[in-house]
Amino acid sequence: MSEKIFFNFTVTADSHKLEPYRERGGYKALETALKTLQPIDVEKEVMASGLRGRGGAGFPTGSKWSFVNKKAPVVYLCCNADEGEPGTFKDRWIFEYNSHQLIEGMLLAAYALNVRNAFIYIRGEFDLSFRRLMEAMGEAYNAGYIGENILGSGFSCDIRVMQGGGAYVCGEESSLYTSIEGFKGYPRNKPPFPAIQGLYNAPTVVNNVETLANVPWIINNGAKAFTAMGTEKHPGTKIFCVSGHVKKPGLYELPLGYPLKQLIYENCGGILNDKQLKAVIPGGSSSPILPAKDVETANLDAECLGTFRTMLGSGGVIVIAEGVCMVRLLQVLSRFYAHESCGQCTPCREGTAWMNDIISRIVAGKGVKGDMESLERITKGIMGNTVCALGDAAAMPVINIITKFREEFDYYIEHGRSMNDGRLEI
Amino acid sequence: MIELKIDNQTIETQDGDTVLTAALRHGIDIPHFCFHPCLSIAGNCRICLVQVNGRPKLMPACNLPITPGMEIETNSEPVRAARRAVMQFITLNHPVDCGICDKAGECRLQDYQVKYGDEPFAIEPKHHKPKFYDLSSRIVLDDERCILCSRCVRFTREISGTAQLGIVERGSHSRVERLDGKTFDDPYSDNVTDICPVGALLRRDFLYKSRVWYLEPVRSVCTSCARGCSINVWKRTHHWRVRSLGEEKNRMVYRITPFDNPEINGPWICNKGFDLPTFMSRPRVLRPAIHGAAASIDDIIEETKRLLSQAKKPAALVSAHASNEELAAFKDTLGDKVVVYTRQDNSPEPGDVIEDSILIRADKNPNSAGVTALFEPKAFNPSAGHDLILVWGEGVAFSSLGAATIIHLTSFEAPQEKTADIVIPISTFFEKSGSFTNFEGKRNCFKKVFEKPELVQHIGQLFGRLSA
Amino acid sequence: MSCIEDKFAKLRADYPKELNSSLVMPFLRIMLDEKKHLGESDAVFIASYLDLPPMQVKEALTWYTMFYRQPMGQHVIKVCRNIACSLMGAERIIDHLSQKLGIKPGETTPDGRFTLLLVECLASCGTAPAMQIDDTYHEQLTEAKIDQILKGLSQ
Repeated sequence: MSEKIFFNFTVTADSHKLEPYRERGGYKALETALKTLQPIDVEKEVMASGLRGRGGAGFPTGSKWSFVNKKAPVVYLCCNADEGEPGTFKDRWIFEYNSHQLIEGMLLAAYALNVRNAFIYIRGEFDLSFRRLMEAMGEAYNAGYIGENILGSGFSCDIRVMQGGGAYVCGEESSLYTSIEGFKGYPRNKPPFPAIQGLYNAPTVVNNVETLANVPWIINNGAKAFTAMGTEKHPGTKIFCVSGHVKKPGLYELPLGYPLKQLIYENCGGILNDKQLKAVIPGGSSSPILPAKDVETANLDAECLGTFRTMLGSGGVIVIAEGVCMVRLLQVLSRFYAHESCGQCTPCREGTAWMNDIISRIVAGKGVKGDMESLERITKGIMGNTVCALGDAAAMPVINIITKFREEFDYYIEHGRSMNDGRLEI
Repeated sequence: MIELKIDNQTIETQDGDTVLTAALRHGIDIPHFCFHPCLSIAGNCRICLVQVNGRPKLMPACNLPITPGMEIETNSEPVRAARRAVMQFITLNHPVDCGICDKAGECRLQDYQVKYGDEPFAIEPKHHKPKFYDLSSRIVLDDERCILCSRCVRFTREISGTAQLGIVERGSHSRVERLDGKTFDDPYSDNVTDICPVGALLRRDFLYKSRVWYLEPVRSVCTSCARGCSINVWKRTHHWRVRSLGEEKNRMVYRITPFDNPEINGPWICNKGFDLPTFMSRPRVLRPAIHGAAASIDDIIEETKRLLSQAKKPAALVSAHASNEELAAFKDTLGDKVVVYTRQDNSPEPGDVIEDSILIRADKNPNSAGVTALFEPKAFNPSAGHDLILVWGEGVAFSSLGAATIIHLTSFEAPQEKTADIVIPISTFFEKSGSFTNFEGKRNCFKKVFEKPELVQHIGQLFGRLSA
Repeated sequence: MSCIEDKFAKLRADYPKELNSSLVMPFLRIMLDEKKHLGESDAVFIASYLDLPPMQVKEALTWYTMFYRQPMGQHVIKVCRNIACSLMGAERIIDHLSQKLGIKPGETTPDGRFTLLLVECLASCGTAPAMQIDDTYHEQLTEAKIDQILKGLSQ
């Protein structure tokens, strides 16, 4: 049983507060860093740990930090708390039960990057998560962990919480800081890259909540201990979010590389109503779907899932049982991406709406011959041609689901109705 | 200086170049909608995608900095496939309005669809948007035709500074809008119709007036202020000077557009420039007259010479709308025979922008610098006791000239309290070629657009006869 | 307006000058909480307060889905229609609410108490199906639970 970085305490009515956190060893890493380490040492430790972004892209965190010129007049740190990838709900837990761990991680990152003003960009919809975060922020400010001259070290950092306005695309890093600048969240073309010119054109690092919340543990226990968990290329643990047709949906912190089959059948108690497994979306709705036979041998780490032509993404595991209509399921997704496309660039703005039109028409029983070929052509026209990854994220479920479940679509088009009674709930 | 290889051609680049700017400078036409050399990079149309060093991920050329060893392909199969895809997406909801759209014939979308597009394969009904959005009394916006390149939005933010346009709503519902409570009254508003790559933003006073292929541009200079922006004056091409469609159309200025002059105005002009045709269609003085009665030009010349020789203290009010050539002719002939006064014919009208840091100058005349290069600036002195005054141009109230005999050289009718003794109609700058000197001392030439009306005179030629 | 302006002033005092335009989103939220739905004049007000172009704030107002621009009922019910919730019965929940309230998604009850909206993922996938009424999350929904919640709000 590997170590836990998050689920290492019993949740009680007060366990999210400052004192209980301190009793668990909270803010020790911050103290250690501010008193005994140089900022570069913090970065080196994170680099050596092999920590990779936990939001979806899986980019090595230490490398991301190393791209920033810490001597620039201003450097910004943005915590990406805009958890919007369907199937993902881990950052919510961190705010509701362990905000201080995130705050400590942010302060360590801010120290490493020489950040004076940091932001947490949080889902505008979040309720308890937001309130608990603000509570923790208040506690941390009062205790002197945030603000001027933290713990007498001479390092100062302010954290401001910015609530989103209801836009999935704001989880994309350049959309996120464009929103923080007071604009609608249009992502930006790269170059320039955020590490060079990001928020207010200053060097900026955007890190996911879970990524930052890993840092205190890494400082306390060392990079080597971190690499002892997970796989060689993808070390550490991950909070996997399991939803859909399992008996025990929820959050499971497990080492990376954990077998997907074990997660579903052991940790989650197997398929709801003891049905057969049909498919699994392993890393949030934007990741290519895995048919049941692939689930047999897939491990939950970036490399292994890469060999299955899918991705770890946010770790949002959505389990789909036999009997579900994949056509209707795809329409839920195509409707989502069409709704969330920011509208800036041509392929995504027109393409997501178009794909949704076609798929909705098929679901309404009015599919025609050639619709599948059209969808394939549209996905080819979008992928790689957009300003940001939302275009790819919209196209990938479409091309994957229509390829792997083609017979359901052909049936729906030919007969004007679903092969599976249009079932989504089982 | 980094060398760049595009399609096996090696070109020189400059500091700050992107692949697109370097390519365009060498005449390599990488297609683009949202890119404009004077605006920030938007990178949203995606038609400029090119292949870099054979890699599968295509990059937008407009935002691609040049690195050593970079090799670009603009015509490989992946690039051509991407262009077909982008054209299909752009035309997906674009109405096939070409038959009724003013932009046809100078429309980038038409050109690229023919060059890079493919057979459309969409069968969905088109999404509709407002076809007649009232941006202002001058400009109408068709949201269906708009491809959301954001050139107009960036123009108002970065060039004119009013930031009056924006793109509202999200995704496929996006539209260009202004504030509901305020019309698009930017003094440079009409430039957006010039930079719009499709027929979405159109000038109301050109709406449905003519197909552009019946027209041709003549390079000229705006006379609304001392900046003297370069403009294109559009008239019927000589092939289409057909009487059967109405003779007046052969002498009509259909529209004004900016002429890109990096020395003076770049690719912009202010709304006054766009409005020149209206200004120039005011009622003309078309025949010479002595004491209000029509006379032949020979009689007029005789009478004028007589009056000039008999005058004890003749004066002339020189016009700041006169061309350099006319002013030189005046100086060489009559300049020593009269007291020369200078003036600014036109002053700012109520509601005008007086001066700004973009183009507009407070001096609302095109050639004040041309005047002061040849004549000492001197304001008219009504108590100097002149008995004969040659009034050149507009804007002078005769009642302020005392009891002098007035010889009026003018193009346009204007109400006056008393009639000039002699009126000689003169040509406008549309009817001759010449040059003005702007406030920076830069000389800018204008070419003749039309022949002058029969009895109207080219004043530069007349001075010689008047002084003989 | 003065309550709003007080909140504006308080928040602005906490922000350094170079982060001035970052106040757009928080200000829109403050106004939304106060006025329940916003219009162009509110965007213009914020823009003039922050010395920003009005169209910039109008763009933001129209682009984010949480800034309602139509009058809403006293309580706004937002039901998630995304994938995990759909797999766990979101359709059934939406039908139940629709039937209970007598309105279709997007509409407001005639007495002005409830507006029913469909929204995208609320990050409640593990406790699906879920909805949010005003600020409060309600998860692991059943028809009975919904009836209880509605009853509680109707008092």
